[in-house]
Amino acid sequence: MKILIVDDFSTMRRIIKNLLRDLGFNNTTEADDGTTALPMLQAGDFDLLVTDWNMPGMQGIDLLKQVRSDPKLAALPVLMVTAEQKREQIVEAAQAGVNGYIVKPFTAQTLKEKLDKIFERLASTG
Amino acid sequence: MADGTPVSDSTLEQMRHLAQLIETGNEEQVKDAVDELTRLRERDLYQDLGRLTRQLHDALNSFQLDARLANMAEQDIPDARERLRHVIKMTDDSANRTLSAVEASMPLCEKLEDESSQLHEEWQRFTQRQLSAEEFRDLSKRVGDFLGRGKDQAGQIRGNLNDVLMAQDFQDLTGQIIKRVISLVEELELGMVNLIKLSGTRLTDIQKKEDQQAGAALEGPPVPGVSDTGVVSGQDEVDDLLSSLGF
Repeated sequence: MKILIVDDFSTMRRIIKNLLRDLGFNNTTEADDGTTALPMLQAGDFDLLVTDWNMPGMQGIDLLKQVRSDPKLAALPVLMVTAEQKREQIVEAAQAGVNGYIVKPFTAQTLKEKLDKIFERLASTG
Repeated sequence: MADGTPVSDSTLEQMRHLAQLIETGNEEQVKDAVDELTRLRERDLYQDLGRLTRQLHDALNSFQLDARLANMAEQDIPDARERLRHVIKMTDDSANRTLSAVEASMPLCEKLEDESSQLHEEWQRFTQRQLSAEEFRDLSKRVGDFLGRGKDQAGQIRGNLNDVLMAQDFQDLTGQIIKRVISLVEELELGMVNLIKLSGTRLTDIQKKEDQQAGAALEGPPVPGVSDTGVVSGQDEVDDLLSSLGF
């Protein structure tokens, strides 16, 4: 399971990386915004994208839209981890095809639940 | 006077009265009437002077206000910006220091966990008399090694925890800096309010329009009591909202 973590704050990337490792996901890579993340996604065989929303350069929502519009990446599960808690933004992310939405600050338990749910759905839809 | 302000009735009357007195030749009464006229004249003068003094006072006050605001814009605001940058740096350093200590401790804990569970298993076999003499000698040596390593590793973890503890020392300093910036913002607010009162401009209509236009921008982390409208109050509400959308 290869995971790309995208957040402009290195401390948040480290936290997510450590939490994921604790859940047994050791193969993680980091990027600091959508602009650097997109070519990494296109070049590498990632199984999951964990991204922040508010970042300089390309924002998380735009990264999500780019991923969904790229035939090679369209099926990639995307988990958004963000401080944005406006209803209209959550709805926008849902409409753009996000697979999970976690608001900061979050717990290790929440991250585990959302990941389990994403993989459960993937398994059931084949 | 002919093309200026019309002479007031009372002045006209007094002049007539004065003329009458001069005609009748009563010197004492003429002198009194002239004094009375002078007194009236002085009263107007004092009133004008009072008004001018007041205007000067207001002007000086607003000048002081301007000077303070200018000083705030030139010095205090850039100073506050630097202080807040320092806050970001301190919290960033602290987070990284804490994370490093945690990352250094995790593998130690994992190793202790694995080794203890292995040894525990074999120890149970020993208590159930399932070990040969040779196996026991091997176990005994491994337990001895483990205890030695355990002491060292526990010491390392204690050192890392101490580092986590020390990494929290930013809180006191950032708290003080942020409090100072808050009091600057309060002073600035007061200055702006006074300035608006002096200039008498109503900004509320302009403000409302700007607020409406800013609706689509990202809000950032919600702050209790500040940005509550249209915002969910935690993960549970996010989950409810998403499940209502068919997620």
